[in-house]
Amino acid sequence: MGYRIGQEMDLMQKLEILADAAKYDVACTSSGVDRKNTGSGTGNCMAAGICHSFSSDGRCISLLKILFTNECIFDCRYCINRRSNDVPRASFTPQEVCDLTMGFYRRNYIEGLFLSSGIFQSPDVTMDLLYQTLYKLRREYNFQGYIHVKAIPGADPEIVERTGYLADRMSVNLELPTAEGLRVLAPQKQRSRMLAPIRQVQMRRQENRQELTLYRHAPKFVPAGQSTQMIIGASGESDFQILKVAEHMYRKYEMKRVFYSAFVRVNDDSLLPALPGGPPLLREHRLYQADWLLRYYGFHTEELLSEERPDFNVLLDPKCDWALRHLEYFPVEVMKADYQTLLRVPGIGVRSAQRIVKTRRLGTLDYGVLKKIGVVLKRAVFFITCGGRQMYPVRLEEDYILRNLLDGKEKLPAGTAPACMQLSLFDDPRFSV
Amino acid sequence: MIRVFRCEDTLTGILTGVYDAWDSRLGHQNVRLSSVAVEDLELFCEYTDVEPDVEKAGKVFRTVKRRMGEEAALMIAYASACPHDGKADAIYRMIVIGLHLPDGREICHMLTRPEVNLIFELRKKAWHIAHRYMGFVRFRELENGVLFSEIEAEADILAMIAPHFADRMPGENWALLDRNRQKAAVHPAGKNWFILEDVDEAKLSLPGLSREESYFQELWRRFHRAVGIRERENKALQQAFLPLKFRNVMTEFQEMSTPLKR
Repeated sequence: MGYRIGQEMDLMQKLEILADAAKYDVACTSSGVDRKNTGSGTGNCMAAGICHSFSSDGRCISLLKILFTNECIFDCRYCINRRSNDVPRASFTPQEVCDLTMGFYRRNYIEGLFLSSGIFQSPDVTMDLLYQTLYKLRREYNFQGYIHVKAIPGADPEIVERTGYLADRMSVNLELPTAEGLRVLAPQKQRSRMLAPIRQVQMRRQENRQELTLYRHAPKFVPAGQSTQMIIGASGESDFQILKVAEHMYRKYEMKRVFYSAFVRVNDDSLLPALPGGPPLLREHRLYQADWLLRYYGFHTEELLSEERPDFNVLLDPKCDWALRHLEYFPVEVMKADYQTLLRVPGIGVRSAQRIVKTRRLGTLDYGVLKKIGVVLKRAVFFITCGGRQMYPVRLEEDYILRNLLDGKEKLPAGTAPACMQLSLFDDPRFSV
Repeated sequence: MIRVFRCEDTLTGILTGVYDAWDSRLGHQNVRLSSVAVEDLELFCEYTDVEPDVEKAGKVFRTVKRRMGEEAALMIAYASACPHDGKADAIYRMIVIGLHLPDGREICHMLTRPEVNLIFELRKKAWHIAHRYMGFVRFRELENGVLFSEIEAEADILAMIAPHFADRMPGENWALLDRNRQKAAVHPAGKNWFILEDVDEAKLSLPGLSREESYFQELWRRFHRAVGIRERENKALQQAFLPLKFRNVMTEFQEMSTPLKR
């Protein structure tokens, strides 16, 4: 294999520039498709996804995450690759992307390719370049691993559709939760133009499901579904608004995932907020926790937040927070409660709830078994009874539980956790921040 | 007097032990299985060494599959790959319970029984190790085009990850060496994979690296470095997901060994 060296830059430099430019994209999952090798090409996919490494920020690396080009015509204020920034620019050729992907994949460095791009000349041209790359990789190199590709808003729907047959997952980033935020910070992007390709892929996927029931071997269209991403903390949205948007995307657009990315101030722009404490990582974390509650635990946004309480409690995770405000549902009897009720108990997750339901049919549970099954007793103990008994006497009172939950629980980032301080009569952790 | 059957620490060894212990007709409460290589001898115990026997083990395994289901068989097979002193006896007890149930398939959900719980835990553990290695294995290309990699696995997971790689790269010659067990999984292009026992790493004479290999290794190192966000740096989180014990076989945590050339 010979490498075509670009006019002025070699592959090593290009990779460094374009991986660096792509790193702010969050999605690096390789899950959602189970596909065996056909016996002739290279690659397969595993439904659970595989993490191949972890970067210095603790995020998983499972895909070769690169931009096709960072020569972007847009001028979004939050983006490192905005037109008016003086950063080194580079573009791959489809051949180079294929060489990199195959070389890395054979050595088991990666699970597949994540191909995004700045807008090069026009959305149509960019989308077509992405399509050509995928076509080469799938057809010429017979690559059967995972491919995640961006749908470029404003591109010809026909090219988007052709690309969808070659990719496993497609995504369009919403970037900012509200249309107003978008107008201020990314004037060239419009919410309606972003939603168009999302809707298109969703409709095509629905049709494709019909086709697949009729013809088992019909080509699959975006089998791993769509995802999107929002930047948290760049404009003034509340958690309630963000979560509303996420819920809307899940319910109305059948999204597989909505990612949240704590805003990192890479550009000095007067319209961007200053972040003296670094990116809002705790807020991002709380949103992910709530996201899981929406998708797997049957919660609705309105149960967790409201117009009056638009932001998450910094000290408590959303589920504990909800439980403390709804003590009328507790205690829950573990031997009798149904699956949905078990799921709402802090300290019991999807796996442990499933195991409880299966195990209790064949024997009596006690607290030792619950612990082994995976229930986090230090949280659950306040909310459950097992065989009619509490593990040890606890009071079902908000203040009592709150005090005990905050005692030596999850590690909060420095600055948020109250260190030693003088007690006063009016101390109450719920009134902080 | 308790009769202790000492079996080899492999699936075949343990299942042969199950066969012999049951076949001894001493009563389940009077026998015990042990797969520990060097054990403190106990008073009031008789020790019998069990020779691993593929035929006996096969009989037990087929019975387990038929009466207790695929799931239970998988649980036992995976659990036997994990190092644990009590696993052989737990497997024996689990099979005893399972074969006495009206529906043996329920055994997988009887987590209130400590034996079953242990096997369940070990199965999970073995799978986690295997799953991690599916991601963390780093092949390097040798001069003759063979992809080669070492692993240093806690559990004997070679046979769990080999099918994954065989499916992934059917057209490649590759080999995986488990340093902790002197075993290797070998896959000739277009053929079935197999396990080689007693591979001595010191005596192995491997060809040198291929021409492109060090270039690709350096590309990967640079990519790995570029993709981390400095403002979010969190080495503790990285280490939680990717403990240090895995890193000495991973390219991105090794310094460049040979000068870079293309």
